[in-house]
Amino acid sequence: MNRGVEIRDLRKKFALVRWQGFRRCVKHVTAVDGITLDVPAGQCVAFIGPNGAGKSTTIKILTGILHPSSGEVKVLGFTPWSERRKLAQHVGAVFGQRSQLWYHLPPNDTFELIARIYGLERGLYQQTRDALVDRFALGPLMDTPVRKLSLGQRMRAEVAASLLHRPKVLFLDEPTIGLDAIARQELRDLVREWNAREGITVFLTSHDAGDIEHVAGRVVVINHGRVVVDGPVAEVRRRYVSTRILRAQFQDPPRAVDVPGCVMRSQSAYEWVMEIDVTVTPVQEAIARLVEAGPIADIAVEDPPLERVITRIYREHAP
Amino acid sequence: MIRSLFDYLRLAATYVRFNLKAHLEYRGAFFSQVVSMFINDGAWVIFWILFFKRFPVLHGWTITDVITLWAVVTAGFGLAFGIMGNAFQLATLIAQGEIDVWLLQPRAVLPHMLLGRSAPSAWGDALFGFVVYLGFVRPDWPRMLAFIFLSLIVGVVFIGFAVLCGSLSFFMGHAGALADQWRNALISFSTYPPTLFQGAVKVLLYTVIPAGFVSYLPVQTLRSMSAVDGLLCVGGALLVLAAGVSAFYWGLRRYESGNLVSMNG
Amino acid sequence: MRTGWLKSVSKYSWIGYTAARSEWAYSAANVSRIIFMATVLYVFMRLWSVVYEGAGVERLGGLTEKQMLWYLVATESIIMSMPRLWYEVDHEVRTGAVAVQLIRPLSYIGAHFGRSTGERLVRFAINLVMGSLIATLFAGPIAFSLSGLAMFAMVLPMAFIIDFFGAMLVGLCAFWLESTQGIALIYSRLMMLLGGLMVPLEVYPDSVQPILRALPFAAILNAPGRMLVAPTFALFVQCLGLQALCLVVYGFGVFALHRYALRRVFVNGG
Repeated sequence: MNRGVEIRDLRKKFALVRWQGFRRCVKHVTAVDGITLDVPAGQCVAFIGPNGAGKSTTIKILTGILHPSSGEVKVLGFTPWSERRKLAQHVGAVFGQRSQLWYHLPPNDTFELIARIYGLERGLYQQTRDALVDRFALGPLMDTPVRKLSLGQRMRAEVAASLLHRPKVLFLDEPTIGLDAIARQELRDLVREWNAREGITVFLTSHDAGDIEHVAGRVVVINHGRVVVDGPVAEVRRRYVSTRILRAQFQDPPRAVDVPGCVMRSQSAYEWVMEIDVTVTPVQEAIARLVEAGPIADIAVEDPPLERVITRIYREHAP
Repeated sequence: MIRSLFDYLRLAATYVRFNLKAHLEYRGAFFSQVVSMFINDGAWVIFWILFFKRFPVLHGWTITDVITLWAVVTAGFGLAFGIMGNAFQLATLIAQGEIDVWLLQPRAVLPHMLLGRSAPSAWGDALFGFVVYLGFVRPDWPRMLAFIFLSLIVGVVFIGFAVLCGSLSFFMGHAGALADQWRNALISFSTYPPTLFQGAVKVLLYTVIPAGFVSYLPVQTLRSMSAVDGLLCVGGALLVLAAGVSAFYWGLRRYESGNLVSMNG
Repeated sequence: MRTGWLKSVSKYSWIGYTAARSEWAYSAANVSRIIFMATVLYVFMRLWSVVYEGAGVERLGGLTEKQMLWYLVATESIIMSMPRLWYEVDHEVRTGAVAVQLIRPLSYIGAHFGRSTGERLVRFAINLVMGSLIATLFAGPIAFSLSGLAMFAMVLPMAFIIDFFGAMLVGLCAFWLESTQGIALIYSRLMMLLGGLMVPLEVYPDSVQPILRALPFAAILNAPGRMLVAPTFALFVQCLGLQALCLVVYGFGVFALHRYALRRVFVNGG
């Protein structure tokens, strides 16, 4: 029994009515064009795609906001659009652009309200709240009005708020937008930890490659209403870009060597950072050439940054 | 069913508590809004008092009736929009897709969404209504209880109608201004003695702009203290509420199919 | 010197013209104002019909039923043409923008006068035309005379100026108050009640009439209203006299306040 998310041949067509003066024109737009996907419980998926790709439409269908044109969807065993309220009890959501926390009140008040909305039993609620406050380091912030908190503190409180009712599925939409590097990393760690600890299924939508890299285990790329890429982050990265970063540290200043299909990214007296095209020169051969340059103290082979992978995928699957 | 009603009442109480707390964060502005509304309503009552000094009876209505009218309308309006402030902005909320946030919660969308905000000035109206009724009319206990009950009924009419007007947004783009006009028409017509209107206009005031349920019936009930009049009030309010709620859920079905009219050229 | 003054006037006229054009373009607000006016005119038409029927007389306070309705056309047209002057002035005081402007008071007040007059004239014209159409539809026209209309027209400018000064005073209260919204509301309600917005002052109890007639609110609403429906030369002179007096008092008030404000701004560092 999966009890995660099961999507079978999902399709969604919109009828856009436009008025050209007095004439009524109906244009049919296919937002989702046959998506089949299985997300087992406890997995953390990055759900990405360019704007207009059908991402938000899919998420709206998964959360019960929209009805599909055809196809089957089961989230935690529920059909979202017909069992919306039952599903909502087990779903949490955080929107980077829109806040669930009341702006003029301290987070504690919003938490209390959430307890009421979800009908949480008092004892269990307090237990969960205390655990979240502790782990998310919200203690001193709980009684400060939200408007006085920094963006990083607010986002931590937002994510904590979305976990109060112990949801089994969490939708995160641009959670780290606008945050500084430290706050971003903190938030990613917290999400990853909670995902591992509670077995929550996480759906992450983000334009930030770092989010995807550090939080998600799996990447699903949507374009033109279809799944174009689906696999573990590392594999996707490896498959889509045929370059590797080679970092070599030498014992003595190295001699110049010729490695075809290679671009020197940075060079110092004892270290070379090179980007090699593995379709031209396989890794083994590149290393062999480097050994010729001089005695090697250390060598590392890295995947290229995810940023580049994503750009490449979008470009590859463009019309 | 009863239990879930109690549950919603508790939820509503929580929202009212937090909405007021949020208002009080800006104490000065809140009290200034309350007082302003009080003054505004007071000016109208003073006008009618001066008017009725000169012309004591209008088709059977005296100054007491007009003051009762203003009291019950402001009290009802104030309670309605003080508690369910989002009824004011429904058209905009729909147009900007803000219902989505409410759809993600395990509650019936409409009542939950309406509770989400409170209109600060509405509390001024509510205060005015009760103060004026107690101060000018000096009712006995049965009348006071009837007044409180009727204020709630009037509030139901206002909310139902505001929901009906706001739901236009599901069917028409840029419905915000039109919805406001239509809703304001109800408020305008509610504050004048309904005995002024006859014939076709009177029919209008029980249908398209249900001011009759807000002005005539409640005051009539307080005059006669008859159960029949009271039942008519309740019936009318439930009709308006039903119309509003139906329009909303009909529109919501359309919204969920994603086929909203877009007015781009 | 003379050319300098002329230049200022033409500059403010240009500001006024631009404001008028933007006001004309803002059709949504115009439509909602007209709908509101139609509602008020309808309700009061019914009100007066019931009152006159009940009293069984042809004239009340010297006016017939139709005249009462047309009185309302005049006063509503005036009050609904009020621009949001106090709000702008309040905002300028709070942001400190006024500090720079206060150095040259005539230009500050002049610029505001230009803009608000431009807006006002357009709104008033629309209100008056539409209101007249509606009143004609509901009740039919009253006896207008060319001289009467001329007198009406001549009473308007001072009414607008007095109202302008009133709004300036309200806005300048921003120096002392956290929010001028309350004062603005009180001002507008006083106008409504004491200025004879919905009914001529003659309807009010006799004891209060003398006082009310002397107030600036009456100069803005009641005076022009009566001039439209029952103009007489005697009344005309009376109105002008009242308006001139109010203008002097108000004008003095504004300049005194302005002087005080200037001192306060520069002593406190703006």
